[in-house]
Amino acid sequence: METRRGSAPAAILILIAIASLVLGWAIGEFFTSRTVAKVVASIPGSPIVLNAEYNKKDHSIVYSILNPGGTPLTIVDESFVFTPGSESKEKGYVVSHVPVHVVLPPGITTKVELKLKPGTEKLKIGDAVLATFTYVHPLSNDLYTVIHPFKMGMKAQNLKAEAEKRSQGGKK
Amino acid sequence: MQRVLWWIAFALFVALVVFGLFVISAVIASNPWTAAFFLGFLGFWLFANRLIFGFGGIANAAKAFLDGKVPDKAELAKKLAKTKEMAQLQKLEELSVVALLGLLRNSLEPFKYAYYLGFFLVFLLAVLFELNIISSLVFGPIAQAVMLGAAIPTLLVWGLELLADYYLAKAAAKAVEDLEKGTEAQQKEGQEGQNG
Repeated sequence: METRRGSAPAAILILIAIASLVLGWAIGEFFTSRTVAKVVASIPGSPIVLNAEYNKKDHSIVYSILNPGGTPLTIVDESFVFTPGSESKEKGYVVSHVPVHVVLPPGITTKVELKLKPGTEKLKIGDAVLATFTYVHPLSNDLYTVIHPFKMGMKAQNLKAEAEKRSQGGKK
Repeated sequence: MQRVLWWIAFALFVALVVFGLFVISAVIASNPWTAAFFLGFLGFWLFANRLIFGFGGIANAAKAFLDGKVPDKAELAKKLAKTKEMAQLQKLEELSVVALLGLLRNSLEPFKYAYYLGFFLVFLLAVLFELNIISSLVFGPIAQAVMLGAAIPTLLVWGLELLADYYLAKAAAKAVEDLEKGTEAQQKEGQEGQNG
């Protein structure tokens, strides 16, 4: 008689309490993540050039640019300096302020093409192209730039190491 | 004079409605998932209300029966048959209290089924968005918010259902025991009567 009249079915109450905790956790997590996502989506990032490849057919360099921020970025201007290597007969030249309009959506890698000067010789190993991309983001009217060195037949890491070595040498 | 007052009241009413719509749309525009959460919560509560109070009432009555208090049979019969006359025709008052509670609990079954079906559909939609089987940056979070809002009354319904079933089973066991005791006593009396 006494067991049957027991105050509360403890197992059921514990079960419901655990389910409520999990549900409350899920709701809290959902609203926190939404708020964070909203904040992150309003922060512009600076583009990162992940890869650059020479396209022999079109005589252009194709850059894979990642936009790690939350707002779209727009490339409005391209410039580059061409420096011939030892194998090339071409003279060095500068092309500046080619107006373009490439939108980099947030969180996505976009391919951006940089056309080299038409009529010039195809790139040979050792030729260097120093490209400057000017971009804007929606929060201000300022212009920002990202500069990417490209050397035919050389990987980006090697170029970076070389540049660091050179800068250290300059200090001494 | 009355006409003027009526028009003023009407204008105030319209202004209030317009203001309310404005506030709601402002909230939805700035925080669509919060609005979706409350919409899911209130909408599902609307359908859960009957189940929440039904199961809660059954659990309460069964617990009272276990504690030795007998709930009002006439009221239970009226709840079950909608009107007093119908209850009389169906002879519900001849049944025991626990039997009436069992009938009342069974009458909630189709509502429970429909409610869980509705929640399952919302849950399914949210899971499809969550697993990126269908994907939309706008509707994904909204489907999830509706599901989370709906989960609160669903949890209440589920918990109260468990409680009601638990107490009903206990009350039924007690009622059967009482019945057996009663028949035993009757048999004893009958035997004594025969002997005497």
